[in-house]
Amino acid sequence: MQNLKTELPKEAKVKMRTKFSSPCKIRNFKILPSTNQKAKELALRGALPWTVIVAEKQTGGYGRKRTAWFSPRGGLYFSIILPRSKIEDLQTLTIISAFIVAKTIKENFSLEPLIKLPNDVLINSRKVCGILTENVIGKEVKSSVIGIGLNTNIEKFPKDLEDSATSLKIELGREVDNKKILEQIVKGLKEQLKTISE
Amino acid sequence: MKIKIRDKVYDVEISELEEEKVKIIVNGKEFIFGETVEEREKISAAPLTIPKRSFTKKEIKAPIAGTISKIFIKEGEFVKKDQKILILSSMKMENEIVSDFEGKVKEILVKENQNVKEEETLIVLT
Repeated sequence: MQNLKTELPKEAKVKMRTKFSSPCKIRNFKILPSTNQKAKELALRGALPWTVIVAEKQTGGYGRKRTAWFSPRGGLYFSIILPRSKIEDLQTLTIISAFIVAKTIKENFSLEPLIKLPNDVLINSRKVCGILTENVIGKEVKSSVIGIGLNTNIEKFPKDLEDSATSLKIELGREVDNKKILEQIVKGLKEQLKTISE
Repeated sequence: MKIKIRDKVYDVEISELEEEKVKIIVNGKEFIFGETVEEREKISAAPLTIPKRSFTKKEIKAPIAGTISKIFIKEGEFVKKDQKILILSSMKMENEIVSDFEGKVKEILVKENQNVKEEETLIVLT
């Protein structure tokens, strides 16, 4: 058996550790069309990894194939600019995020989240969180952002979503602390992404 | 926690053993990440592995297998370096493929909603 740690040059280890332990910069917005869109723009303009874009409300939040994501005030909508990862590792990113969201929900509240791989989290068979990873790829991966829409303090959904969506507030009967949940998810992601090489 | 894959539910636990070592237990079976090269290869041998991307001369190829969900260019159009060419959806991720060089679009070999294999040529530029 070869030991991976002993194979890494000292400088590489230092660089990796520095990158993954770099502080998060959280940028709060009252309203955005889409946090993923904003994160992609900022990533291409050189924003540092672990910059987190948070919006209180999205006017054009979207999931895969640009399907709309209901994003009224009260929910938690954020996107994280990730450190550049090898193309081989990209597909694990969304799954890791779903694990972290489910773990955060389970550890903080008496709820049983179910991960519908790779990018949804359900409670009582209704979607409580959607995750969309978007990568820009040229000759290599130019940027990766993960967008997370978590239905936290949403009281009511439109008729067409009533049967398929839920929120933590609906499930718990009380409001939750968006800031605390955000911090826990970002912290959890940083810890787990240490396992993904750059 | 529980995860569901194709209607089968798995019990999954994640814990951090120490710095750079993570233990994931799936239905009682342990996987340790970050321990050794062999362990790492065992993990990446799962179907999630994506082969390396390669570009040949003025051909834009699929970096991974997936479905073309949107094409932004037309034949005859001149594209610049880093211009958005298409969206390739894979494992529910959206991958924006940008051109690595500039040139005129000679041929678009794929259509929207078409499944493509990794390394398949998508666009030819002149």
